[in-house]
Amino acid sequence: MDTLFVSLAVILAGGLSALLLSRQFIIMKLATIATVSVGCFIGLSSAFPRLFDSSSAAEVTWDWLHIFTLSFRVDSISTFFLIPIFIISPIALIYSFHYMENKEKAGRAAVNYFFYAVLVASMALVVASANIVTFALAWELMSLSSYFLVVYDYQIKANRKAGYFYFIFAQGGAMFLFTAFAVIFHHTGSFDFNLISQIPDRVKLLVFILAFIGFGSKAGIFPLHIWLPYAHPAAPSHVSAIMSGVMIKMGIYGIIRIYLLLDAPTPVIGQIVLITGVITGVLGVVYALAKQDIKKLLAYSSVENIGIILIGLGIGMIGVTEKNQAMAFFGFAGAFMHVFNHSIFKSLLFMGAGAVLHKTGTKNINQLGGLMKRMPTTGKTFLAGSVAISGLPPFSGFIGEFLIYYGGFQGIYLHKISFILSILAIISLAVIGGLATATFTKVVGLAFLGEPRTEMAANATEAGISMRLIMVLLAITCLVIGILPEPFVRLAFLGIADIHFLNSYDPASFMVIIRNISMTAVLFLAVFAAISLFRKILYIKKEIGSSPTWGCGFTQGTVRMQYTGTSYAAEMIDFYRPFVPVKSMYSGIHKIFPGTTTYETGVEDVAEKNFQKGLVKPLLLLMAKLRWIQHGNIQLYIAYIILAIVVLLVAL
Amino acid sequence: MESILSFCIAVCIAPFLAAIIQKVKAYFAGKQGPPLFINYYTMIKLFRKGSVYSTSTSFVFKLGPVVAFSTSLMMLLFFPMAGIAPVFSFHGDVIILFYLMGLGRFFTILAALDTASPFEGMGAAREAFFSTLAEATVFGILILFFRLTGSLSFGEFFSGNHAITIMGAHGALLLLVIVALFIVLLTENSRVPVDDPATHLELTMIHEVMILDHSGPDLALIELGSFFKLLFYSAFITRLLYPFQFENVFINALVFYAIVMLVYVVIGVVESITARYKMNMVPKFILTSFALVFFVTILTMEFIQ
Repeated sequence: MDTLFVSLAVILAGGLSALLLSRQFIIMKLATIATVSVGCFIGLSSAFPRLFDSSSAAEVTWDWLHIFTLSFRVDSISTFFLIPIFIISPIALIYSFHYMENKEKAGRAAVNYFFYAVLVASMALVVASANIVTFALAWELMSLSSYFLVVYDYQIKANRKAGYFYFIFAQGGAMFLFTAFAVIFHHTGSFDFNLISQIPDRVKLLVFILAFIGFGSKAGIFPLHIWLPYAHPAAPSHVSAIMSGVMIKMGIYGIIRIYLLLDAPTPVIGQIVLITGVITGVLGVVYALAKQDIKKLLAYSSVENIGIILIGLGIGMIGVTEKNQAMAFFGFAGAFMHVFNHSIFKSLLFMGAGAVLHKTGTKNINQLGGLMKRMPTTGKTFLAGSVAISGLPPFSGFIGEFLIYYGGFQGIYLHKISFILSILAIISLAVIGGLATATFTKVVGLAFLGEPRTEMAANATEAGISMRLIMVLLAITCLVIGILPEPFVRLAFLGIADIHFLNSYDPASFMVIIRNISMTAVLFLAVFAAISLFRKILYIKKEIGSSPTWGCGFTQGTVRMQYTGTSYAAEMIDFYRPFVPVKSMYSGIHKIFPGTTTYETGVEDVAEKNFQKGLVKPLLLLMAKLRWIQHGNIQLYIAYIILAIVVLLVAL
Repeated sequence: MESILSFCIAVCIAPFLAAIIQKVKAYFAGKQGPPLFINYYTMIKLFRKGSVYSTSTSFVFKLGPVVAFSTSLMMLLFFPMAGIAPVFSFHGDVIILFYLMGLGRFFTILAALDTASPFEGMGAAREAFFSTLAEATVFGILILFFRLTGSLSFGEFFSGNHAITIMGAHGALLLLVIVALFIVLLTENSRVPVDDPATHLELTMIHEVMILDHSGPDLALIELGSFFKLLFYSAFITRLLYPFQFENVFINALVFYAIVMLVYVVIGVVESITARYKMNMVPKFILTSFALVFFVTILTMEFIQ
């Protein structure tokens, strides 16, 4: 436990060193990256052995301000979530070395590094917290530090709006969370997490729903995901990588933690989580398909993956209430596995998108194309990440989804509602998989393949060495997990070891299946290698011609004739129309000599639209009526304060 | 040994079977049609040729055919042809196999987009769309079979105590499954009424338009891969149709392949007597198969307690 705090101190020291060294740009970057990496390494070396140590969890408590106790506790679940924090954080930071190249913004880069370090430390504190006060403090620290990371480019208006969105959702979520904590405190009279299970059963569901909304707004469940597609494109790419890869998983951690602490017997919780997961997953991926901005698309794809994780958790929770150990075990294990995998390939993809943005100046798919030849390393690693995130073997994404499928199939023997929900889970996983394939073939096929659609794409050059190095490393990791999943699956199994219901389940028989999966992946690669060799032989001494693409007789082809991201997705979007409204704007032709006509088309987020209509507008109307309270008279403000204190003193 | 032999036979016979469809279509059109060994001749011809590559393409274009061919080959390695155990089999293999097929599709789509051709982009978009719908049906069938047999493997579906046969207690349910699977077959193998494999140009197609720019051995690999895929789906339907097992392996294999041929003939007849649907009808057609499977699965709630 002490090593964990040492590592956090080192990480924070790294952040501070950035502020102190902000005049020396290169040295500042190197020092921060080195220090934070060392800190993360220490943290990892303290967390890793704990997974294999089945003895009781480590605990520490401190008094703070003589009133509150800060207490920390690290069990297997916390440890499992610490691993991506300590792995992805330094990796994204190393990537940033060549990403943050603008010397003139040295001061801002230093501030960015400082808040980055604070974010890493606060995430570690979130998963290590063991009482309400500690958790709330760490949670707020995490939300605030990430807010400052999002508004890095604050001169751009859209980015300020993005930051504002994020802030509202982070604090709105926190409001629900604190309400849940207040209800708990009302019943237990203590801040301790361990006493939460003692609150009466009828309150448990309410507490869970409140906390689920709170954590969900951080994780990005539908319809509380609206901030993701704003915040991720606004933030620098290493920040998007860590936020999407790691930080939104803190919401998942919170859901798991509150579920385990509540220990509620009602089956409704599992059903809510599963159905939310299905909605989040399917709609997330459909919106991802509809977006043309790579980073927005990746943000929606994060929503989709949160959906997959929630489906896994939902299966696990239903398994617990149905007393089906296998179902519960694989549901939870699959969710954990997917948390781990997603942190890797989503970081990889955000980094790839960042490299593209850095070198071309645009992230709009319809303006890119042909980057595979101009940025080969970025292109190949992005391809690997895309296969992985589509859940296709022999890459890592498949392993987590397979575990969830396996858990879902265990539920097929159940009756009534659990049976229907298991079917729903499996079918929606299949549909999500298919749509994810469509989404990522779109990104790779249209941004990286074909011909460049604009000058910007045509003049792109390969990204800097630190960026390439990290992307290659992550891409190889995706492949390794896909081919040799056994140690990683064991890691997920160790992660769920502290879920009591699953203690007695022995997954030995499943390990055979995992070995077979690994065998199949190897077999496929062997077949693939053999066929490639066969193809090589066929082409020995053959005439290889080269000519433009066959235009079906049309000889005046231009790059603008290529299929675009919009046209690629149009048919599929149309199919999901009620949920994915397409909005187009046409200026029309007026007068005898018409001016420039414009046509714009895009997809509206149905959740955002309804929030606007149902919540924001009425709220603004109400607030406008109450504006007289804010009159700018200091004396009266002081009077308000005194009045408030008096009322509180009298009332309590 | 037996398994490997059976696998080799399947690989060798697949191009021959595909020619049956052409023969049936020729018969309906009142023509003589190509010889039954036409596909072998085509393969040999293509293997002998060189290739022309578009200047727009990258290495992904060359990767497409190899990946697609390898994944189709994997399907045959795991499927029990003619009642003989497959070369490889384990609990859970169906999931990874259908996902491998997805991998093949992923790279076929990418290869099509790599050419920068608007036609091929169009084909790619349709392929991506229709396969997401067909995937739902396939997993619906897997759910049903898991409920009936408790296994997740092609090898186990058709052997052991709970083997799926049309003569069994749930035979009636299987009839609907067969229809659904046939629809998936038509979709995934780009047959009429979803797609038209005969028109080698223009905008009417899905799969064929995606491979417009492939030539020589690359094209041969794609064609061979699609023969294997068609054989896999037909064999799947055949295993559901045919309930008996003979003692003699050879008679078994003979009857099995006779029924497979029958399936091919049916495909040919369907192609001859129906026209291709308008594109906006295709999703409805595919969803019909899903509705059938879902209905059957709901029915099992009462049958199996």
